[in-house]
Amino acid sequence: MSTSSGSSSSQSPPTMASISDVSALFQTAKKYEELNVIGTGAYGTVYKARDLHNGGQIVAMKKVKVALTEDGIPLSTLREIALLRQLEAYRHPNIVRLLDVCHGGQSSERDHQLVLFLVFEHVEQDLDSFLKRAPGPLSENRIRSMSYDILSGVDFLHSHRIVHRDLKPHNLLVTSNGRVKLADFGLAKTYDTEMKLTSVVVTLWYRPPEVLLGLSYNTAVDVWSAGAVLAQLHTRTPLLPASCDSEQLHAIFRLIGRPPREEWPAGVCIMAESFPDYPPKDLASVLPRVHPHALDLIKGMLVFDPAKRLTALDCLEHPYFTEEPLN
Amino acid sequence: MPYWYYDKKDLQNTPSFRDGIPTETENRYRKEGARFIIDTGSKMDLGYNTVATGVVYFHRFYMFQSFRTFPRYITACCCLFLAGKVEETPKKCKDIIKVAKSLLTEEKFSSFGEDPKEEVMTLERILLQTIKFDLQVEHPYGYLLKYAKCLKGDKAKLPKMVQMAWTFVNDSLCTTLCLQWEPEVIAVALLFLAGKLSKFEVADWNGRSAKHTAWWDMFVEDITMELLEDICHQVLDLYSPQTQPSGSDSPPVASSTKLPKNDKSSVTPPTSASPVIVPAKPAVTPLKNGAELKPELAKMDMRFTYPGYPGLPPYPAVYTAPPPVLPAHPPPPLVYAEPPPAPPGARFPPVNVPPPNFFPPLGKRPPPPRAPLPPRPYYPPP
Ligand SMILES: Nc1ncnc2c1ncn2[C@@H]1O[C@H](COP(=O)(O)OP(=O)(O)OP(=O)(O)O)[C@@H](O)[C@H]1O
Ligand SMILES: [Mg+2]
Repeated sequence: MSTSSGSSSSQSPPTMASISDVSALFQTAKKYEELNVIGTGAYGTVYKARDLHNGGQIVAMKKVKVALTEDGIPLSTLREIALLRQLEAYRHPNIVRLLDVCHGGQSSERDHQLVLFLVFEHVEQDLDSFLKRAPGPLSENRIRSMSYDILSGVDFLHSHRIVHRDLKPHNLLVTSNGRVKLADFGLAKTYDTEMKLTSVVVTLWYRPPEVLLGLSYNTAVDVWSAGAVLAQLHTRTPLLPASCDSEQLHAIFRLIGRPPREEWPAGVCIMAESFPDYPPKDLASVLPRVHPHALDLIKGMLVFDPAKRLTALDCLEHPYFTEEPLN
Repeated sequence: MPYWYYDKKDLQNTPSFRDGIPTETENRYRKEGARFIIDTGSKMDLGYNTVATGVVYFHRFYMFQSFRTFPRYITACCCLFLAGKVEETPKKCKDIIKVAKSLLTEEKFSSFGEDPKEEVMTLERILLQTIKFDLQVEHPYGYLLKYAKCLKGDKAKLPKMVQMAWTFVNDSLCTTLCLQWEPEVIAVALLFLAGKLSKFEVADWNGRSAKHTAWWDMFVEDITMELLEDICHQVLDLYSPQTQPSGSDSPPVASSTKLPKNDKSSVTPPTSASPVIVPAKPAVTPLKNGAELKPELAKMDMRFTYPGYPGLPPYPAVYTAPPPVLPAHPPPPLVYAEPPPAPPGARFPPVNVPPPNFFPPLGKRPPPPRAPLPPRPYYPPP
């Protein structure tokens, strides 16, 4: 495709190469060598890659396609990347390191897309595979420290006004030292503008009732999801597995009880009566042999009303963590 | 993580310098580019924050790219365009170009090519890659106001002093200070300078403790007097008459006669100002180490031509005043304004941008300490 370059140079004497000309000259060596696909999510593919500029260090590279607008890269994407970069300055131990952001140029002239590469530190495995591979129950200390890691990461995001929105074992990474780091957050607006791969099944198991009911939501959604994950650390099986929205709500109400009609949120199309009047279950019966402090914490996280749910900071100050020192 | 602070040696050995552009010329290009961003931004009613962010992008960009490859005015435009989006004060690319055109001579505007908007769009991607998507930039303004709030002294002089310091911060954008020091340090230095020049004596300060020998010890550790003076001189040098006439407007592209030496160039201010007699200035209140300071200050005053002093510089203050009310600093709002979707059939030229091949040294200085996090309620509130 011809650009402005050719004729512009003939026009004005102090000849200036056009930007397009110049950028075409920069076809230099790649910076990362893709090795293999680690994960395919709904919005992008994550590759294992080698960082050729840093001694071949292994990294995780997430490819995200961004639709370009009339005015270039969308503001929302720029804001989100700016924030992710800014968060990185804190080097929070429970947040996966974002090492680099780059783009692969425009993928093609016809689709107005830019492929973004977010380069993360490579972490051994995600919590899902960690739990699947665990030979037996995790030790109480391990569970407690992993729980604390998750909540610290969540609290950190919330303190920066970021809602993760999709906390689940697949998005929690476990390092070789058994520390947990949060991944896959902060690009919600960028994702929203992109076409989602419909073939990828999105798990509902960690989704809080307000989201399933189509209500507005806030940081409390992450506390719910974290509660479901914490429970799973004890049992190594998901707490609330279900296969569709309504089944998920049934599963939730079977556990925590259907809220009384007067507590049913206004403005929901689904009526309280759609569900049997499930009584709340004793969490101890679902999570046998779990310390009462842990049960109390998880119970406080799985509260129907987001406003009555513990905050991540509340969780960190819960006796489950404070009564005995973490090691 | 990219590291954006350089020592003076790095600041001399830039891509433009390696490309045969003398340091003096490069500094002039930087100054003109920064000034152009400021002028364009002001004309479009963009706030000081957006303007400053654009200028920082501009300076960072040319730590990796040459002025010979990327003409300064279109880069400046692109920096302002990107800063507008990042700071959530977006301006349409075509509107920025329109204003730019009105501010530039036809010859200078010719560097925008035949399709200026496409050029800026392409450059946006190069810019992003070059500044490594490190988009969030802090500026001295907020620190300046925060520090000034703590100072105790002649109440009548304080506003004027802060105003002067604010103008210095604006003008410091035309220097490479943002590539040398964190915004906290620049804020301290320029407040210090304004204090000296407006004869504002810091009698005391809020939060003073026994271990503080000067007010800034409270905010930034280990600031030496040499450092403060060096920063002040870099800003004051802007007001001294140009040593070099602003000759050629653009670097000769791919000229065979490369400019070999640049021995005249110096990043540091001249140590002896030539034929001027140092007038006996009213003694400035000596600080702890006032002995070293006094002669320096005399020199500063001599070269200083701040508006209101005799011998005004051709240097307008860009912004009339700091915001009247000290702004609180709310974190960025979560609301995003979506730009309109791309119209069908818009096209972009192919671009394949490499990683910059020059990497700044890592970890020379740790990032400045962060304030403790506030307690957090649910966000957004119900
Ligand atoms: N830094 C990393 N190190 C190692 N593996 C990673 C890393 N980041 C992601 N992964 C793996 O890739 C998978 C997908 O990554 P990610 O969640 O970022 O993409 P996604 O497209 O949003 O997926 P989903 O929609 O399923 O959440 C993760 O579940 C994890 O197994
Ligand atoms: Mg994921």
